[in-house]
Amino acid sequence: MNNAVTIRRLKTGIPGFDHLLGGGLSEFSFNLIAGEPGSGKTTLAHQIMFSLARPECRALFFTVLGEPALKMLRYQQQFSFFDTDKINSSIRFINLADDLLKGDYDNVLARIVQEVRDYGPRLVFVDSFRSIVEAKKGKNEGGSDLQLFVQNLGQQMTSWQATTFLIGEYSLSDAQSNPIFTVADGVLWMSQKLLRNSIVRKIQVIKMRGQPHVPGLHTFRINLDGIAVFPRAVQPADKVDSATSPFIPADQRLSMGVPILDDMMGGGLPAGYALLLVGPSGSGKTILATEFLAEGVRNGEPGIIAAFEKSPNQLLSRKLYDLVKTGQITLVDTRTLDLSIDETLYELTSKIEKLKAKRVVIDSLSGFELALAPEFREDFRESLYRMIAVLTSMGVTIVMTAELEDRYTDLRFSSYGNAFLADAVILQRYAEVEGRFNRVISVVKVRGSAHSKDIRLYDIDGEAIRIDKAPFPYEGILSGRPTRL
Amino acid sequence: MASSNVQRHQIIQRTIAKSTGDVADVAVKLWQPLAAQLISIVGEGGFNALYARSLHLVSRQYPWLASGTLADSDNPEFKALKSSLENQSAADAGQAILAFLILFTDALSSLIGESLTTRILTSAWGGAPDKDSMEKESR
Repeated sequence: MNNAVTIRRLKTGIPGFDHLLGGGLSEFSFNLIAGEPGSGKTTLAHQIMFSLARPECRALFFTVLGEPALKMLRYQQQFSFFDTDKINSSIRFINLADDLLKGDYDNVLARIVQEVRDYGPRLVFVDSFRSIVEAKKGKNEGGSDLQLFVQNLGQQMTSWQATTFLIGEYSLSDAQSNPIFTVADGVLWMSQKLLRNSIVRKIQVIKMRGQPHVPGLHTFRINLDGIAVFPRAVQPADKVDSATSPFIPADQRLSMGVPILDDMMGGGLPAGYALLLVGPSGSGKTILATEFLAEGVRNGEPGIIAAFEKSPNQLLSRKLYDLVKTGQITLVDTRTLDLSIDETLYELTSKIEKLKAKRVVIDSLSGFELALAPEFREDFRESLYRMIAVLTSMGVTIVMTAELEDRYTDLRFSSYGNAFLADAVILQRYAEVEGRFNRVISVVKVRGSAHSKDIRLYDIDGEAIRIDKAPFPYEGILSGRPTRL
Repeated sequence: MASSNVQRHQIIQRTIAKSTGDVADVAVKLWQPLAAQLISIVGEGGFNALYARSLHLVSRQYPWLASGTLADSDNPEFKALKSSLENQSAADAGQAILAFLILFTDALSSLIGESLTTRILTSAWGGAPDKDSMEKESR
């Protein structure tokens, strides 16, 4: 018989956040929300509070010196989660600045304890307690009773039948030395990092007692709806086990929507593969990717296209536009310059699950890389690897396009050697023959499958790709000096 | 905005009109719970800043209103405000206190919004917001 105490998990409803915590905040836990100024601590605290507070689950929010309460109320109201109706009925704000200025901590602590006793809250927030530290320091009084105060406060907070939060400015080095980090059941660390011109916000669950939180740094965004966390996607452990991963018959192939190309690939693109489509500008990569999606729609397989290159209006060829309109193809529009891979992956995986999508197009990797915040470009390859692993583990088949300058002196399939991440590679290229640009296409690689080695001429006819049935009768195409065979 | 503004102004007008007794006493009786309510939320510093600002504005029209906030030692419990009201006729004092409260809550509302301001006002001056009567009036 299991007599272990059952800990209720409070679901905050903040996108991605509960998942990060391992299911939600544990009831009656004492949590620390720490981070630098401007990292979103107060916003997170408010969002948790407004989401959980109800008349039978009241919240008390103590403001200390940090941010003037008037300003806090002014700015926090801009978020859609801020609900004035809850104030006083289920949420009370109490300012402790005066008590603190007047001096001693015992009073502040007594006041907090008194208010908690009177109001009987289930949620208690104290924002922000680093300022308590600073106030004391400013008065040249011993730091030790301050430590003691925060300790006492922490002790008090754990003893109330309430889920409590201390919000404070701390540096990561404090986490090692400050005893409050030991007392806390949960420690959330928020930060923002500037690289070049972009800011990337990250949140980390340093500690969450008794529950399997997701480790690592996770990006989040603050918009008018508040915070949204994009948990760093790793291939779920249960999916690594082949027994539970989506079953894909080994011989299942997906048509590219161009029969001749299917033949060249040895019968189509094997299901669950990631295909890299490489070619110079204007070679028809997006058109081919569209054919791939259109073919999926014809077979009742919903698809998703993540467009990084052009704005949706520019991207949408007539054909793609019609597909998107029918609802069978979904567009993930991602034209900002401070994305994280995880944000994109979160969008993709949630859409794949929702639509039961089978085909995914990423157009293009170059655009994707550009759309990322500089910080993430550094480990683009690693992230891409992770992304492909996560997506293919969901049973989707991926087509990624990559733009590459035509250089006839060296043959490359993508920048930074991303090509090895792909299970299949199709190369498009220009060849100058008899005074005109000709487009040629070749299947370079299909892992574990026979495929054509031909280099074939093709043309774009409206919105369709027409590939010759026979090899282009020239040699030296790849070196830029074709001569007729 | 205009209509909700009017609603808050009406609450102030109605509360002053309902109150009986000396205007100066009424003023203190209205200011004290409002101050208490607000100080608990935004702190004394926040309250004093707003109070001083709206006092500055209202004294253009009523220059005889005593300056000074709760931070000043000669104004405990709005004593200075009270005595400056006592020196005026009941009508003038009534006008001044109405204008003062309206300006003060206008300033507050410009910072934290109308609905929160009204909420604070109603909880300071008598329990739950007088919703039914407000709704009736707005009809």
